[in-house]
Amino acid sequence: MTTQGWPAGATIGGVAIPAVPDLARMRHERHLRLQEQLAAQDLAGLVLLGSSNVAFATGADLPGEDSGRAGLFRSVAIVVAGSEAPYLFTPYPDAAPSELTGPFLQGPLFPDLDEGIDDLVDAVSGLMSPGARLGVDEVTHPMMRALEHFELLDARSVLGPVKLTKTPDEISCIRMAQHLTEEAMESTRAILRPGIRQTDLSATFLRRVFELGATSNAIDPIWQVMPATKAAGPWTIHGDLAYPTATTDRILREGDVLWVDAGITYHGYASDYGRTWITSADPAPSDRQLSQFTRWRSVVDAALEILEPGVTALELGAAAIRANGGEKPWIEHFYLAHGIGTDSAEMPLIGTDLGSAFDESLVMQPGMVAVFEPVIWDDGAAGYRSEDVVVITDNGFVALSDARYDPFELVT
Amino acid sequence: MSSSLMAREDGSGPDFTRLRAERRMRLFDAADAAGLDALVLGRTANVRYAAGIRQLWRSGTSPFSPVSVIIPRTARIHLLSSWDEGIPPEIPHEDLYGMFWNPTNLLAALREIPGLAQARRVGTDSVTPMFLASLPEVAPHAELSDASGLMARIRAAKTPDELACITIAATIAEAGLAALEEALVPGVTERELLGVFDESIARLGAPTPPSEGVAFATARSGAVHFRNLVTDRPVGDDELVVLAPGAFYGGYEGGLARTRPSGSSPPPDSAQLADRCRTGLDALVGACQPGNAGAALYRAWEETGEPEPVIALAHGTGLGAELPLVGFGRGADAVLVEGAVLSVQAWVTEEGTGGVLERELVHVGPDGPEVLTKSKRSRP
Repeated sequence: MTTQGWPAGATIGGVAIPAVPDLARMRHERHLRLQEQLAAQDLAGLVLLGSSNVAFATGADLPGEDSGRAGLFRSVAIVVAGSEAPYLFTPYPDAAPSELTGPFLQGPLFPDLDEGIDDLVDAVSGLMSPGARLGVDEVTHPMMRALEHFELLDARSVLGPVKLTKTPDEISCIRMAQHLTEEAMESTRAILRPGIRQTDLSATFLRRVFELGATSNAIDPIWQVMPATKAAGPWTIHGDLAYPTATTDRILREGDVLWVDAGITYHGYASDYGRTWITSADPAPSDRQLSQFTRWRSVVDAALEILEPGVTALELGAAAIRANGGEKPWIEHFYLAHGIGTDSAEMPLIGTDLGSAFDESLVMQPGMVAVFEPVIWDDGAAGYRSEDVVVITDNGFVALSDARYDPFELVT
Repeated sequence: MSSSLMAREDGSGPDFTRLRAERRMRLFDAADAAGLDALVLGRTANVRYAAGIRQLWRSGTSPFSPVSVIIPRTARIHLLSSWDEGIPPEIPHEDLYGMFWNPTNLLAALREIPGLAQARRVGTDSVTPMFLASLPEVAPHAELSDASGLMARIRAAKTPDELACITIAATIAEAGLAALEEALVPGVTERELLGVFDESIARLGAPTPPSEGVAFATARSGAVHFRNLVTDRPVGDDELVVLAPGAFYGGYEGGLARTRPSGSSPPPDSAQLADRCRTGLDALVGACQPGNAGAALYRAWEETGEPEPVIALAHGTGLGAELPLVGFGRGADAVLVEGAVLSVQAWVTEEGTGGVLERELVHVGPDGPEVLTKSKRSRP
């Protein structure tokens, strides 16, 4: 694996993607883009509670935490229209970027508790007038009661357009997250053999990815053993595959086909690693398995062939379906591809139940990230799934993932 | 309760079927008492409490969405899941609804839930603007009610099976502490320690820590700050290093904190600092009597003469961190109910020495506090 030469002069909006992100510039540009959208949507500000939204709006490197802890010890972001910087209220002051000082960095507000909710009211009222239109991502019951004099609207009207396309520095962060993940995964695949447990793979991966510099882990790594047939797998609502299911301490056996999926964050930005592995001390895909991989490759290549600014999600989906002989090559509850940013799956979502009219309206633009994750199912011999991560650039696209597809690539 | 993770055909260890049944009973009783016709839960731990599902763990909060819909009249728990893996047997296939990206499809699925459309009072643990706007479409006659307090109340006192899970989780965390202690040498970075820790608990089958803030070195000179994030800072020679591991078992959290010197010659006055920390912690633990309020902890801390705390003195522990929160000026009136488990902590600092954090897991038993964590104390 190498980062040398990347990103080979690729540009977004005429600006080269840097090999190493400038985090301060990234945060500043994000804030300016939020300001633009606040003005466009005529909102006085945002009050954000969700971990990924707070990280996005403030640049806080919040520690990886269980949802219960993250919910109780919440960090809150308030973005005020016209303000030079976002306000971060947090019990974790060491998570704040260095430029947030003075009034921009304050103690926690506990929006989930009635007790002390006046602190939240004071903070909001001190920054915005009563009656103001505020974008919010979640409304706790104490907040709903305390902020009744404000008009609370969906913050996605602001966050959606800003998150849809990434700045060159954001792309560089995603690339770094991806690179760390892939390198840790190479160490992890090396220990895969019959007799180890799924959680042993998690152990090796997590150890290695923090040694390499991950900011936090985003998800319990998935090493799902795929059944040979759909019928042998868990019951599902739609009759399609159950994926991803949670890891256990299941002991892996010779020939088990693993669909691997994991992600970490690097300064708030997520990676997404997906590969198919075969459990063996000496893994050798069968001809049937190799043809699954070849078909997967041809589906992704068909989409990549036409991927450039201006192409629609519908056209990408159609190209993938054509390459798969007319059959939709993705799981019923998922997509052909999804975006990635401070959330591990975000817009652009390509091929979901949002429908073809939505897909037709979703036009690729420079700065969009697409994680292609088609699934080739070959009932009787399981199937193949990997993820290719790319960013759409001014002239086409550039890959953000560069891991190999071993053990499949070893023999092709 | 043994912390064995081995298969035991004699039925020793937590009885998860009983655990779920007791939680469901509390849930339905509380929903009935509150006059709720439906309870819509989105918070991961609340959903786990109600439905007993084993879900994929993700870091951080996710925005509220209707992940579980509980209808007391039918005694059915409906759940957003496209498959039955990780779903306990008391939730049949027909009570599962799918995962959708299109809100219209989700609303259509919710409308199929028997009893929701007729509901007059719908409790939720939070909302989003979108959910508020769409509630009339699925429950046109419903008035929205705050069920977050109800969930906190029923979760507070632990059943014996819940307590057993918490104790096993604490034991896994203690094993992680041992791995951290072994890896603690000058030059190792905090981030590397996090990697060592995650590896150690994953090997025990529990790969997701409650928090990644598991280690920080404290400065030997200048002001000493509490830190929540691991950094790439290498641990120096003979520094006091806070080790704060946690783990989950069956969704339940256990954890502790100790402070260890990185070398063989601890900073000057380390022992006195550790004694100060222990005095403070013992005072806090002593105040964890059933029926006491959080004020008793604030008072106990104040009487030690230590400066105002910069971190919480205590918070509930169960399916993750939970109420009551005693700290940051909150929780003076919060009652410590019998059966609750609290994470109780003391943090003291001394310029020229560093900082010492100790954290214990305390069961508020009928006869008073019972400390569940056992690792050797911090005194060097």
